[in-house]
Amino acid sequence: MNRRRMDRLFTNLTWLAVSICCLVLLFLFGVITWNGIRAINLEFLFTASKNFGAEGGIFYQIIGSLLLVVFAAVISFPLSLGTAIYKSEFLKNRFLQRLSNTLIYGLNGIPSVIFGIFGLIFFVNVLNTGISWFVGSIILAIMILPTIVLSTYLSINSIPKIYRESALSLGMNKWRVICRVLLPQGIGGAITGVLMGLARAVGETAPIMFIATAFSGVDVPGSLFEPVTALPTHILALSQQATNKQALLNAWGASLVLLTLVVIFSVSALFSRIKLKTSSVR
Amino acid sequence: MNRSTVLKIIQPAPAGEPLPVVEAQNFNVWFSDAHILNNVCVSFGEHQINCIIGPSGSGKSTLIRSINRINDEVEGFTPEGTILLDNKNIYDKSVDVNRLRREIGIVFQKPCVFPKSICDNVLFGLPRSRKMPRREKLQIVERNLKAVSLWREVSHRLNDRAHSLSIGQQQRLCIARTLTVNPRVILLDEPTSSLDPVSTRAIEDLMLKLKEEYTIIFVTHDILQAKRISDKLIFMCNGQIIEQGSKDKLFTNPEKKQTWNYLNNEYCEC
Repeated sequence: MNRRRMDRLFTNLTWLAVSICCLVLLFLFGVITWNGIRAINLEFLFTASKNFGAEGGIFYQIIGSLLLVVFAAVISFPLSLGTAIYKSEFLKNRFLQRLSNTLIYGLNGIPSVIFGIFGLIFFVNVLNTGISWFVGSIILAIMILPTIVLSTYLSINSIPKIYRESALSLGMNKWRVICRVLLPQGIGGAITGVLMGLARAVGETAPIMFIATAFSGVDVPGSLFEPVTALPTHILALSQQATNKQALLNAWGASLVLLTLVVIFSVSALFSRIKLKTSSVR
Repeated sequence: MNRSTVLKIIQPAPAGEPLPVVEAQNFNVWFSDAHILNNVCVSFGEHQINCIIGPSGSGKSTLIRSINRINDEVEGFTPEGTILLDNKNIYDKSVDVNRLRREIGIVFQKPCVFPKSICDNVLFGLPRSRKMPRREKLQIVERNLKAVSLWREVSHRLNDRAHSLSIGQQQRLCIARTLTVNPRVILLDEPTSSLDPVSTRAIEDLMLKLKEEYTIIFVTHDILQAKRISDKLIFMCNGQIIEQGSKDKLFTNPEKKQTWNYLNNEYCEC
């Protein structure tokens, strides 16, 4: 009887833990949607902000955010693919394999503000690039590198050995085996990684606020070395004008748009992972 | 496939003493510290079905996988001694491994087709298949699928995914894929162990047909299968060659007691 009671207690405790997690998420979603939806209309989405964001919309913020993360992905994707292929197919030394894992996980664990400071000191001050969206993309690319590398590595490395051996035994060299056997089967994992990376990068504030973004008076950049304005930094700026009701409403609206972008990227990553699992014949 | 063809009684060609194509001399293999093949000396005759038998863990697969150097990919693999193809050591530094693997093809135990169409699978090993004219491609596909008696079954659906075929058909597709790169020797590592009896007979039939053009070296667990189709029999145990010779000699009058024991009782005391 006692044992049964303990069993039930633990079941209930785990159930409680799950419920709290879900409720916190639902609460956040609920509050942001409830407040944000009142700010959102076509005008808000498709006009530029005025008066430090207190009036007008967030058009250029959306464009800026997408520009930053898309270029981050463009920079990060080939690097990650190369790293994952090298780790999976060429790096046979166990010590180096472990070392590379530690370094990649380490890179993943670095607080985002450190990336921002690094970008500020190295690019903006030492290389004298000035505030530049492209530098922001580079920093975001470094940040999402571990996510894409690990996802790609896992998907390439999990392709059964017999596929490699079957291709090699037809006289293919390693490069052709990689291009024709491993990449077609492993690319899904890379895409999942990119989408997960995008979901993370689009919401980051600290890495870009010193080096890539300006708070107002910016539209679509004409060159690599111009600032943009992005959603997370815009929300930060608006929330500091706590006395202005319209500015706060716009902050909620921008938050909802940002959250929607994160959800779109995350759900796409989820679907691409599910598709990967069901379509690959392993 | 025509049922009567599948079930017909298979009569292997009488074994002669043909020239050896592949020959291992004092060949040793280590995987890290484990000594897997111990001083193996064996020869495989041209246009014959050379059959390697022996209990599990006797090194049959290691030997066959060493012949086209696919073991090079395995961590800790250290070969010693020589394996000669046309009197040239395949482990020589000057040997182009990719070329060697085109000359000595291998078919594995579990059929492994690529997630592509049947047609693409046949052409997979051809270096410049993408740039070939369509007609030439189809000719190659037809020729090789006919060689493995798969053409009649799949000719109307060459663009279907290869995974839609049955396991037995997939294994024959793997053989066709190997034939496409024009090998001289075909290694088969227990090619029928995951197949049903009808598919097994189809593959056996196929091997008898293929030996006219190719030299076949195959590993099997199935003593009856070896009896049905082999010309030359090689009995291995504990990483060593216990006895080799013509099938008739080994089945009727083996020199070693272990051979007799294994072939008659499937029991090995070595």
